[in-house]
Amino acid sequence: GLLFLFHSPPPPRESHLHCSEERGDREEELKTISKMSVIDILTRVDAICKKYDKYDVDKLNASNVSGDDAFARLYASIESDIDSAIQKAERACQEKNRAAAVALNAEIRRTKARLSEEIPKLQRLALKKVKGLSKEELAIRNDLVLALPDRIQSIPDGSTNGAKQTGSWTSASHMEIRFDSTSDGMFESEYFQQTEESSQFRQEYEMRKMKQDQGLDIISEGLDTLKNMAHDMNEELDRQVPLMDEIDSKVDKATSDLKNTNVRLKDTVNQLRSSRNFCIDIILLCIILGIAAYLYNVLKK
Amino acid sequence: MATPDPDKLMAKADKLTKLSFTRWTADWKNATSLYEQAAIGYRFRKDNEKAKEAFEKASKGQEMISSDCNLDKLDSPWDAAKHMESAAALAKELGHWNEVSDFYKRASELYRECGRAQPASDALAKGASALEDVVPDEAIQLYTDACVILEEDGREQMAFDLYRAATSVYVKLERYADAATFLLRWGIAADKCHAVNSQCKAYLSAIIIYLYMHDFQQAQKCYNDCSQIGAFLSSDQSRCASKLFSAYEEGDVEEIKRVAQSSPITHLDHVIIRLARKLPTGDLKELNKEEAKEEVLDENDLT
Repeated sequence: GLLFLFHSPPPPRESHLHCSEERGDREEELKTISKMSVIDILTRVDAICKKYDKYDVDKLNASNVSGDDAFARLYASIESDIDSAIQKAERACQEKNRAAAVALNAEIRRTKARLSEEIPKLQRLALKKVKGLSKEELAIRNDLVLALPDRIQSIPDGSTNGAKQTGSWTSASHMEIRFDSTSDGMFESEYFQQTEESSQFRQEYEMRKMKQDQGLDIISEGLDTLKNMAHDMNEELDRQVPLMDEIDSKVDKATSDLKNTNVRLKDTVNQLRSSRNFCIDIILLCIILGIAAYLYNVLKK
Repeated sequence: MATPDPDKLMAKADKLTKLSFTRWTADWKNATSLYEQAAIGYRFRKDNEKAKEAFEKASKGQEMISSDCNLDKLDSPWDAAKHMESAAALAKELGHWNEVSDFYKRASELYRECGRAQPASDALAKGASALEDVVPDEAIQLYTDACVILEEDGREQMAFDLYRAATSVYVKLERYADAATFLLRWGIAADKCHAVNSQCKAYLSAIIIYLYMHDFQQAQKCYNDCSQIGAFLSSDQSRCASKLFSAYEEGDVEEIKRVAQSSPITHLDHVIIRLARKLPTGDLKELNKEEAKEEVLDENDLT
């Protein structure tokens, strides 16, 4: 601001007429500066800046552009859209409320799609020749249009982190290392130092997750085999139930028959071996022996 | 009568059975026992031809006994059937294939006379497995009859092995439509005895066979029909089938191969697994073209 006081502003093309007037004012102010304090200087600087705003090149360009050139108009609107989208992306990253972040990301994506659609129009306008524009400017415009798609795509919209986000729900307890809120695009930005720890952690997490997934796959295969075997065993057992019943009844019948037979046999054997018959047998035997001995004696004599 | 010459025994037995002037009625009882001994003697000597004849005659004797004497009725068809089976086994070794099937069928009938369905179907199954390589059509007929016998008796559970063997014979003969139909019959049998796992496996196998025949419409129809059954609809096998169909519709060969390696298919019968590994047969784009053609025809019909 102070420099502005001591250097003459570059005269703009369209306002030569007002130049001489301003020069007169400036000479007056230079005289009064030597008698001022700091605060007074600052206030005078603000007032002078406001006065010479019309010489501000950027603002003039902006106001110029809104005048006639269609290409420049469209280009400016796209640029402003890109800037607002980038701001939204930054807000989404810092957003703690998941739903709001998702909504913002969705908006950003919609904007990106819309802008990508506008680019072919812009391309056509860039190739059109506008009066008062040099050949170099035309080439520059073409390059600007070509650079636009990349800029649009590079706006972070959280889509690159979609898969990782769902995976990192479970590890929400590690709040100090918030890797689910940093996007790939931001790694190259000023936040890189903060995520050095988290990238290592993240790698380890990914490796472990992969190993767990492999192990779970093996387990699931084994479980499938077990399930199939169990089902088959179940059916086999069902098949054998009526057979077992049949065997049961047949064996029952056989045992009862056997018992009957045993009892009858016992009776018969007892009958044969009963003590009365035995005694009678012995007595008869003795009688026979006695008779035989008597006969033998008689014959011997 | 320790181990006399089987020939002599045979001669003696023949004399007993031959009707002549001196003999008005054949003495089957003695004859049969002589025949049996002779047959065993022959088998010991590995004289299969003569042994077979002896068994045949012994079996006939047993039948005769059963028709004459009421007391032995319960046992004799059983013995007759047993002899017939032995005769059939010997015929198999000799290679008289038509005799094999005849003998086994006769044995099965005799078992049925005894009222024992399981041995009847077992006899037919033995016959079918003997004839599988030589006369497969006859083998299939025997298998089908065996299944029918068991189903009539209400013992479908025992028939699963028979169904499995019959489908493998069909697949060997490359009669895939018949194989699929037989598998669906298996599904019905499984349904009757509430064997859900076997039922679902049978349906999945049928679908795979249709796909192997490259008959996508049939396979779809089969799947839709089977989905009417609640048990199948909520099973792993139906999920696998739907994955297979979506892979076919997308024309993704890698996906088809992956589904074929997945677990529901690996638990099926090995014959079916071999077919599944060979999927997809033919060009997948053709399927889509066929479907498109069908749509064109429909439009023409409507307009």
